Formats: sequence, C-alpha cells, structure tokens
Amino acid sequence: MASSVITVNRDTRPGYYPILYGMWLTLKNMLETLFVKGRSATIEYPEKKRNISGRYRGVHLLTAREDGTPKCVACYMCATVCPAECIYIEAGERPEKKIEKYPTRFEIDLLRCVFCGFCVDACPEEAIFMSRENDLVGTSRAELIIDRENLMHRGKLAEVGPGYRPVDHDVRRPVRIAALERLKSEHGIVPGMPNSPR
Amino acid sequence: MPKCTIDGTEIEVAPGTSVIQAAEQAGVRVPRFCYHDDLPVDGNCRMCLVEIEKFPKLQIACGTPVIEGMVVKTQVTSEKAKEAQKNTLEFLLVNHPIDCPVCDQAGECYLQDQYMDNGLHDSRTVLEDKIAKRKVVDIGPILLDAERCVVCSRCIRYEREVTNTNLLEFVNRGGSTQISTYNGGPITHEYAGNLVDVCPVGALLSKDFRFKMRVWFLKETDSICPGCSTGCNITIDHRDGEAYRIRPRRNVEVNKSWLCDPGRDLYKTIGADRVTAAHRHGGTVAAPSEILDEVAAKLQAAGAATAFLASPHASNEDAFAFKKLAFSVGGRLDFRVGNPQDKVAVRKDQILQREDRHPNTQGLLNLGLGVSGVDVLLADCRAGKVQVLVLQDADLLNDPAVADAAKNIAYVAVMATHQGPHLQAAHAVIPAAMWAEADGTFTNFENRVQRFKRAFDAPGDARPRFEIALALLARLGQPLNAATAGDVFVEMAVEMKTLGDLTHRSLGSKGVIAGGNIQAQATA
Repeated sequence: MASSVITVNRDTRPGYYPILYGMWLTLKNMLETLFVKGRSATIEYPEKKRNISGRYRGVHLLTAREDGTPKCVACYMCATVCPAECIYIEAGERPEKKIEKYPTRFEIDLLRCVFCGFCVDACPEEAIFMSRENDLVGTSRAELIIDRENLMHRGKLAEVGPGYRPVDHDVRRPVRIAALERLKSEHGIVPGMPNSPR
Repeated sequence: MPKCTIDGTEIEVAPGTSVIQAAEQAGVRVPRFCYHDDLPVDGNCRMCLVEIEKFPKLQIACGTPVIEGMVVKTQVTSEKAKEAQKNTLEFLLVNHPIDCPVCDQAGECYLQDQYMDNGLHDSRTVLEDKIAKRKVVDIGPILLDAERCVVCSRCIRYEREVTNTNLLEFVNRGGSTQISTYNGGPITHEYAGNLVDVCPVGALLSKDFRFKMRVWFLKETDSICPGCSTGCNITIDHRDGEAYRIRPRRNVEVNKSWLCDPGRDLYKTIGADRVTAAHRHGGTVAAPSEILDEVAAKLQAAGAATAFLASPHASNEDAFAFKKLAFSVGGRLDFRVGNPQDKVAVRKDQILQREDRHPNTQGLLNLGLGVSGVDVLLADCRAGKVQVLVLQDADLLNDPAVADAAKNIAYVAVMATHQGPHLQAAHAVIPAAMWAEADGTFTNFENRVQRFKRAFDAPGDARPRFEIALALLARLGQPLNAATAGDVFVEMAVEMKTLGDLTHRSLGSKGVIAGGNIQAQATA
C-alpha cells in the first residue's frame, strides 16, 4: 500500500508559550467583562435572557379553534412519527359531525421528548406548535408529563413567544389557487356551487 | 386451460378466471374498489381498467374473462391504463371529504393506497364546494359516512348475496348517490362486521373499534376463531399484549372472507378478569411449581381414583397432553359435558355459525377423549369413588352437574383462565392461557385441522394448558418428549393414523382435512 507523507509545520515556539497565551486570554476576557460595556461574554441569567430564534424548539403547545376546543383531531400522526415515543393520545367523539374526533387525553412526556420537532412537521391540522420556552423545571417526574389543558394554556407563552411552527398557516391554499387557475385557463371552467341541496 | 400473457408473463389459468384474478396469479395487483373475491362482479368503479390487445378500448379487468391467447397490459406496462386509472381515481375523489386524520380506515384505505400509488394530483375541487352528505349515521353496530363512500356497491352485494337481507341500497342519483338502510333503520343481522371489512374506504366503520387505535400500530397474528365448531380463519390485531379486534382471514373452504359478530367480539374476553397467579382454596397465592408439585402428589397418591374432565375449548395439543396425563395414573377421562358432540355439525344459521359453541369438539372426539362416559364419571364423583378431579377448563364448574359432582371430591384442581365465583369450588387453581396466547390446532366440524398462532404472552403466571399437563407428566415420572405445541402435535400424529405425518408447518395457513388424502391436501 502506497502511503503519502504529510508534512506538519510543528510549532517551534517554546513550550510555555501556549500557557502564557491562555492566561493572557483569560485576563483579557476578565477585564473586558468587568470594565468594557457591551463586551461581556456572559449574561446575568435569569434576570436577563438571550434572544432565541423564532424557530427554537422548546416546550410544545396545542392550538385551539375559535370556540376554545383543541384543533387536534387525534390522528396520531405525531405519536407515530415521534422517535422518543413520548406522545400519548386517547381519542374521543366530538358532537360536531364534520370533525368527529378530538383527543380526550393528550400527554407529552417532556422527560422523554428529544425536542426534534417532527410532531410539528407531521401534524396535518397545524394543531401542535413549539414555543421558545426552554427553562423547564419540575419537582417530580409526573409534573413534566404535561396534559392537554397544560399544553393548550402554557402560562409562559406570552413571555417567551412561539417557536418552531409551520411557516404558512394554510399551506394548502397556494395549491388550491393554482389548481383553480389552471382549470380556468386550460378549460375555461369556473367551479360554482353544486346544484344539489346540502 | 386458457393461456394468457399479463405484462409479458405467460400464465395458464382455470377457465372462467377473470383478468383481475389472472393478474393476481401473475403477481400484479390491479387496483380495484368494487371487485371483491367473494362477491359477484359488478364492474362499476372502473378502477381496474387495463389494456387488452385487439380490444379497441380499455377493459375492466374484473369483468373480462381470460380467453386463449389474450395479451393484457396492466398499469405496470401500459401508460394508457395507468392514465385511465389515475383519472378514475380523481373522479372518485371529487366529493371525498379528505378527512383522513379523523377517519378510522386510514392506513388500510384503498383510496389512500391508490392515491399514493398513482394519484398524487392536486384536487380541482375546493373543499367547500364538495357535495355534503350524511355523516356519522348510526346503523346498529356500524357507522355510515356517506361522504367517504365511493359508491362501489360492495356492501349492497354483500347484503344481497351473503346474508340475503337486502338492508342497504343506493338512494339519490349522480354525484348525490349514497348508500342507506331503509328509513335509516339499523342493520339487524349477526354479520354486520363484514360490511366494515368489505367497505374499501371509511364509509362503513365499526362502532366497537371506533377511535380505539390507529391500524398501523397493530400487529397481525393468524388464528382460528374459538367461538363455534365452524373454525373460521381469523386475524388477531394486537398491540403490546392487548388485542384490539378480530378480522376474518380468507379461507375459501371454510369461511370465505366472512366472520360473525359474536366471533368478532371474542377479543374482549382475552383481557378481562384473568387468573394470573396460581392459588389454593380461599385465594392463597402460591408459586405455580408449588401447586403443580401438590397436584402431582395428589394424583400419584390417588392413582386410579381420579377423574379428568377435558374441555372442547382446548386445542388438540392441550387435549392430547391431558389424555396422556389421565392415562398415566389410569384415571377416568371424558369431555362430553352437555353433549357437544350431538351439535358439532348442526348449523345455527345458513351462513357460518354452528350450534356447538366449542371450537374443538371434533378434535377431542378424534383423539378418543370420551372414554369413560361423562355420566358415569360424574356419578362416580358423586358416589365418592373419586379422590382427585382435574378440570381442563374452570368454566366446566359453571355446569350444574359438574359443580354438584365436585362437591364430594377431596381435591379439585382446575386450569382456569378467568376469575369468578365458580373458582371457589376448586382446591388448586392453575392459571391457563387463552387461545390467542398459545400455539395449537383446532379440528373443526368437517375434520379440518387448522393451526392458530400465539399472538402475545399470557398474563402473569398463566401457561398454555398443554404445558401444564406436560409439567404434571414430568412430575409423575412419565415425561412426554415435547416442549412446544409443535412437538406435541408430532407426538400426536405418531399415535393418530388420521393425521399422517402432518406437522404444524405442513398444515399451512388453510388447514388440512384429517383422514382424507392428507398428502395431496398438504401440498396443494
């Protein structure tokens, strides 16, 4: 086997050089943090908090319809795609016939959750979003298995703001409009109301 | 035997075979909605269009019989057929509500499958413009959603041809066509569950299974229905050791694609009120091995003053091991409590059900378990000639004659699946597995030996009945050279000439009629 020789430019400076350089760096940062305004490497957490990206994947949220019921229809897509298997859903019947299903139980075990955001991607109803909430504390394990009501009313949402979520709130609309325009331009058809009684 | 070519594959089929069946034999599945293997052909959905040489237009594969020299191009090789199927699908989806997230059929829906295979179009109908039809209509054990219907008439043909009840029919015309029962009345017969299976989409859904589980989570296990002596082939759908539903499995010679509703409900018995630990009289729990030691010691001491009552709910393997156990101490042995053998082939209705509500009466008869005569056996029990009584199924204690006879016995040992007051009559309760939790075979009314497979483990300390009998045999010093149900079957086949050299494996998925030309059946 042919091997090629790699020439490495070794540092020829004396051995104490990196130690001195490191100490200088530490001293510089310390002085800057102490005396130069705005150059500080740290922040005074929790009084101050960093600006977090709008795509941050924090604690989940369940969105609601206008009447306050969850948008979720308990299709189990999020539970199916979840790599940590941390979503537990039980489905029940809604009185409204158009959307007959809703989650009677919807629990996320935040201790198992890996915050990958797949649940948000999988959701066909835009019912599950993520917030920017990342300071998650609890005094027991049970406290961090959060239920439907908790997911629908995260107290910190107003403070931290929403995180990872679908960009366009009706992703199907452009497709629909394009299809209608094609129908009109290619066939001259403008779909109207069906003539049968509803 | 006409020969035809399907997508370049030459295949010889039986006369009268339709193109769709021939394609299936050649390994090509032509998409369909209205065609069903066990229903008459209607040809209304137009989904199975294929190109056939010398025909000017595309033909429906389900309604075209194969003739000599036919050259068929399905959607696999014909662009024309593929395009036609795509357009048909688009028409079928014009008024579909696309509510897959709430629909229980999602995951086993023909519309979903075929949309993924050859649709993938953008809908040209705005959701608000779709024709609204009736949703969530309660028609007895099933729910009707007319919006999801593709108007394939499978359910109507099922009602007409299989149950002869004609409860469903089309109403309205054109795009507003929908299925309905007369005046919205309920489906009254005991075969309503099949309508759900027959429906290729989510228009007819089971009320019992509604919203319980998404189907893609479920694992399937081939099994046999233990509800009666017909022995319908079934699939148990289960997840994490819990059964969620029972569906029929196609076997043309036994149940075609059908199953009765009482049979479907049997999954509910698996999870409820099970005996999970061995215990003595009064409920003191003991280790299973301790109880088995005790039972074996009692049997050894009593010798011939023992009686064994087998149950026609047990599999052939269970029964064979039980018979060996009875013979090892020379005790009395029978199983014919309530004379199930008289009803084994008597039909309860004209479709599937039989009067004998045990799955394996014929198997136990074949094994010769009815030796002592059940009346003599029970009379001996009452007369105090029997010291130890072993029951293969605790349910036998619910029979007044058995319960009465058990009163005089010093030691009653039962293999029990379910809790109940009847267990108080027993001195030793050994937890037993149900049919879904064990491997085995049932022999149905026509001597067909059919295999069922273990879907999941039995709860707690419960073990299959044959294992309990084997453990007792080992303790009595007469072990059987077998560890699994398959081993027991081989031992059984050695003794029984009618089984030939069958094994679990050679029974296949369709079963074999014992005593007939076994070799020919097993290879077929």
